[in-house]
Amino acid sequence: MSAVLTNPPLPPMQESPGLWSLAWRRLRQDAVGMVSLVIVTLFIAMMAGSYFGLIAKDWNKEKGVSYANPSFLAGAENLEARSMASKDGGVKAPPVDLSDIDPLAPRYKEWDERAAKIAVTETKRAEVLPFGGDKWGRDVLQKAIKGSEVSIFVGLSAALLATLIGTMLGAAAGYWGGWVNDALEWVYNVFTSIPYILLILAFAAVAASSGKFGKGILPIVLILSLTGWTGIYRLMRAEYIKHSNREYVKAAQAIGASNWSRMFGHILPNVSHVSLVQLSQHVVGFIKAEVILSFLGFGVPVDMVSWGTMLAEAQNELVIGKWWQLFAAGASMAILVTAFSLLTDSLRDALDPKLK
Amino acid sequence: MTRSRLFAFLAALLLAFPAATAVAQKKVLRIAFRTAETGFDPQRVFDRYSVGVCENLFEPLLTYDYLARPARVVPLTAEAIPEPEEGGTRYTFRIKPGIYFADDPVFKGQKRELVAKDFEYMVKRFRDPKNRSPYEWLFENKLLGLDELTEKAKKSGAFDYDAAVPGIEVRGKYVISFKLKEADFNFLYVMAMPNVVPMPREVVEGYAADTHAHPVGTGPFILKEWVRRSKIVLERNPNHRGYELETRFADPADPWDRKVMESLHGKRLPALDRVEISPIEDEQPRYLAFLNKEHDVLDETPFSFIHQVLPNGKLSKALEKEHMNVFPELQPEITYDVFNMDDKVNGGKDNPVGGYSPERVALRRAMVLAHDRGQEISIIRKNQALPAQTPVPPGVVGYDASLHSAEQDPDPPRAKALLDMFGYVDRDGDGWRETPDGKPLVIQYKYNIGGQEARQLAELWAKSMKAIGVHLEATAVQFADLLNDKRVGNFQLAGSAWIADYPDAQNFLQLLYGPNTNQSNEARFKLAEYDRLYEKSQGYPDGEERNRLYREMNRLLLAYAPWRLGVHRIFNHLQYPWVKGYKKHPILYTNFKYLDIDVAAQQAAMK
Amino acid sequence: MTAYVIRRLWQMIPTIAGVILLIFFLFNWVGGDPAQVLAGKISNPEQIANIRKQLGVDQPYWYQLWVFVQQVFTFDFGRSWSTNEEVSRILLTRVGPSLTIMIPVLLIETVLAVLFAIMVAYVRGSLTDRAIMITCTVAMSVSFLVYIIVFQWLFGFILGWFPVQGWSESFWKNLTTYAPLPIMLAVFVGLAPQLRLYRSFFLDEINQDYVRTARAKGLSEKKVMLKHVLRNALIPILTNIGISLPGIFVGSFLLEVFFSIPGLGREIITAVNRSDFPVIKAVTVYLAVITMIINLLVDVMYKYVDPRVSFK
Repeated sequence: MSAVLTNPPLPPMQESPGLWSLAWRRLRQDAVGMVSLVIVTLFIAMMAGSYFGLIAKDWNKEKGVSYANPSFLAGAENLEARSMASKDGGVKAPPVDLSDIDPLAPRYKEWDERAAKIAVTETKRAEVLPFGGDKWGRDVLQKAIKGSEVSIFVGLSAALLATLIGTMLGAAAGYWGGWVNDALEWVYNVFTSIPYILLILAFAAVAASSGKFGKGILPIVLILSLTGWTGIYRLMRAEYIKHSNREYVKAAQAIGASNWSRMFGHILPNVSHVSLVQLSQHVVGFIKAEVILSFLGFGVPVDMVSWGTMLAEAQNELVIGKWWQLFAAGASMAILVTAFSLLTDSLRDALDPKLK
Repeated sequence: MTRSRLFAFLAALLLAFPAATAVAQKKVLRIAFRTAETGFDPQRVFDRYSVGVCENLFEPLLTYDYLARPARVVPLTAEAIPEPEEGGTRYTFRIKPGIYFADDPVFKGQKRELVAKDFEYMVKRFRDPKNRSPYEWLFENKLLGLDELTEKAKKSGAFDYDAAVPGIEVRGKYVISFKLKEADFNFLYVMAMPNVVPMPREVVEGYAADTHAHPVGTGPFILKEWVRRSKIVLERNPNHRGYELETRFADPADPWDRKVMESLHGKRLPALDRVEISPIEDEQPRYLAFLNKEHDVLDETPFSFIHQVLPNGKLSKALEKEHMNVFPELQPEITYDVFNMDDKVNGGKDNPVGGYSPERVALRRAMVLAHDRGQEISIIRKNQALPAQTPVPPGVVGYDASLHSAEQDPDPPRAKALLDMFGYVDRDGDGWRETPDGKPLVIQYKYNIGGQEARQLAELWAKSMKAIGVHLEATAVQFADLLNDKRVGNFQLAGSAWIADYPDAQNFLQLLYGPNTNQSNEARFKLAEYDRLYEKSQGYPDGEERNRLYREMNRLLLAYAPWRLGVHRIFNHLQYPWVKGYKKHPILYTNFKYLDIDVAAQQAAMK
Repeated sequence: MTAYVIRRLWQMIPTIAGVILLIFFLFNWVGGDPAQVLAGKISNPEQIANIRKQLGVDQPYWYQLWVFVQQVFTFDFGRSWSTNEEVSRILLTRVGPSLTIMIPVLLIETVLAVLFAIMVAYVRGSLTDRAIMITCTVAMSVSFLVYIIVFQWLFGFILGWFPVQGWSESFWKNLTTYAPLPIMLAVFVGLAPQLRLYRSFFLDEINQDYVRTARAKGLSEKKVMLKHVLRNALIPILTNIGISLPGIFVGSFLLEVFFSIPGLGREIITAVNRSDFPVIKAVTVYLAVITMIINLLVDVMYKYVDPRVSFK
């Protein structure tokens, strides 16, 4: 579904020391690109802010009633909250006496005394929250902010890792050729012959059943990057094949630069724009893929929130008229993804003006 | 006057047309299952949905009366309910002559009558290792000589179906007598289970490769079409003898009973010509499809939509206008969380929640007291659940309504006090309590990876524990792994649920019987006193004495807290007004054989 | 040519071997235990062991792997552990519904994307171009899950234009009644990225020298577009279709789950959830083979479309 589309290999470009500064100059002239850049920066700032606890710190607090109305719908009827208020009766019969068999019985008195000293704090729940509440009465807006932190982090780190894997392997295959290339091509063929969804499920199943992928969001990052590096690998390999025969690489060899230095010191800077574009394309792809993983239950742990888990949670809420969580998560994701994609386009144009 | 008469005439004329076609029109019931089925070999299935289909294809010796509440066993293919003989160790059934199986090519054009030997064959099938029957336990350690036969089969690799078993006596064509190893007063319930039904030996052998796809029974319906996990079509069995609604045990004061009796009065059943079942796992499409009249019945309205269907507990105006019927059912089931009572998790790491010492009991009890069951009921179950007071749900024989304890009701201050008292305090100031000997305390809760509900329950656990400073880590696990982990004790805390196989408390209380560890006793609870009481209760039929023993067992459960008692869920079943004769049975999953459809109304509504 | 095809076919063997190894490792070794799912409510360790024995999962790994290899070469994967249905039958019956959705999706998507792409490429740089491209970007930024939830509710329920879900035995009924909404959804989601991609293909060609030559010769812009640009851009477009072709067999599990389509995607999810290894094995191997064959066909087709491509 969210098949990451590989772009056609880019035509060779002029190597010039001012590649990046030229690109930046071109990007600055691109209004759409700049607006997107601002939006993406804002999101990243928001992510940082929520990471350091400056905003949405208490997203997990239940401040409102269940499905509290958003402030612009303050008066609307909220059956979910009303039913919560009407506490069920339970059994009224006198409690059964356990004292003859209870291992705790000798300390009943002390227990009662201690319990009496602990105060009960009943927080008042708000009827209305700025953008409505979720099932538990948490602020959907804060959840969306916290969720963007996790989703963007997952997208970025998975894309970084995938790009790293793809670039390293692509560089190795393209530069060395021979049996290294054959071996890596074999791995690539194997990975791309298996349907993407099955590959994802297989890795997810391993992550879930063995716990070998660690805890927290690490499993998701690993699942996404270990299944998503293939496109980058293919492109980088092509670039390295092309570049390793170029004059400047041969010159470097002549002055005694090591293989390692040629691969990463000389060629990499000249092809890094390709990885950059790939990186940002994969960020978008992975943010979307996280939603699908969450829908399947392979989402972030329960004490965290992401756009994916919000959407999975909100899947039945549209029908009951509580559309705000679906909207908040869907819209903030759409805004970021749009900005990121447009930025990627502008970036590509800026880095490679021929493709205008 | 004349004008209205003319109008009436015209109306009659108009009505006559569709009415005439309606006669030819088949009565089709369309319904969705929540989960895909697995197959219809009654001895090899265990999920409710597959067994639910089997209810319509096969007939056990005994069954439950449609209307009687609490559930009541009545004869079906047996002439009568046998009296327990030899102190509850022998049961003899006399089969009604003249009951025939549905036609099948295997019978080569002959009518095949139901005989006692079919039941002998069926019981043996449960114990044939080749069948790996999920309900093998029903006949394990139960009938004289049967276990030995299974042992032999394990060694030789082939089960000898022709070998005589002293515990299964076939006397002539229609009489079968079972001799039990020990007294069992629930044996009749076993013989009323919808999967304890015979398939003729020639059918099983004729379709040995795929018995799931060739169910041949004496039931009112036959399997017409089966696209696995996608569509099940049942059609009326032309061979079936037919029956009328039994109203002996009906409650005239009950509006549902009255309606059933009115609409089915004098009718020859089954009335339906065809039942179309499609499994729809996701909730939104299942719900919307019903509202769109793509289905006639909505079984178990998803909890998320309850307030739209039943705002303030009453049918919504929109549904009221459709004359929708809603049947709320308190199911004979319980949801609960199990603590692993072993000292070590799967023989390895230390298990902080296991053990019987006062400090371990205190930790479990505190966790139970801290768990916010109120939110579980109001938010996750949308108030469609009752807090469980004992492991035994209402409506089950042996349920004790007077039994109630504050130990399972949320009370965070008491939880905190208990933890403080036993030394579970936060020494290093990280916000989490440590064990009495100062080691870090992290409790792992395992839940099923698929499904939103499991995730929400995990969320509730995590935040309830956080509120009292106990660090609980929720881990999502694959379905198969969770089952395995719970069976072998590779967990600390996990959710579970149990639905009655038969309406007797024993079916629930065995879940804590020590020797059932590694089987159904997921808590691995081994308390000598409990086991003694359980074994003693087995020797009594339903009555005062047994209830007293059950009560003692319940008290032990409350004191040692191997479980956190969850809820008994209330399921709301919706039907369009053209579905007649509806009443949900607590044990049997389907009721197709008692339903009727007003085809004209159905067709009109679908236009 | 023949030599090339033979070599490519020969190269499939190590790839298949890799697929077998990877899938075996992921599911058999670290995946769930199917015996647990099959065992029922009450069962003892002995019964679990009995089930494991019958399924053959108690055998050493190398032996299970050997069985898998044999299955691949005999194309007989036995029966599903969960429903006992023959695996080959599962594949045959489930591929139809998936294709009923995905073939129209692929056709409509490609035709629309090419048409739109050539249009926006024609007016490249204009306001229309930018507006359409930004709309596309926005459209593809919304999660597929959100689309499905909203569209099903809106078109199936609120407006009632389509049934909410369902599937029948009749191909025509499926195509005309049940398939349109899922098809529409998939096209809606898939169109934007295709359009963006194809536009870039067209722009690539427009910037080539031969186009300039054609223009210099005095050909009208329309003629240039249709005659030269379209023909040449067809190569990357065909490649792209070739890439997405294997995917149509898998279908979209989200669509299949929400619209009750008995396709292969839904089957894969169920199989994974129930640790139904025979089904997983068969699906993977068959699809891997299909993928490789399609890739080969695409490469061979190149030769005919673009004589510049040589077989190395």
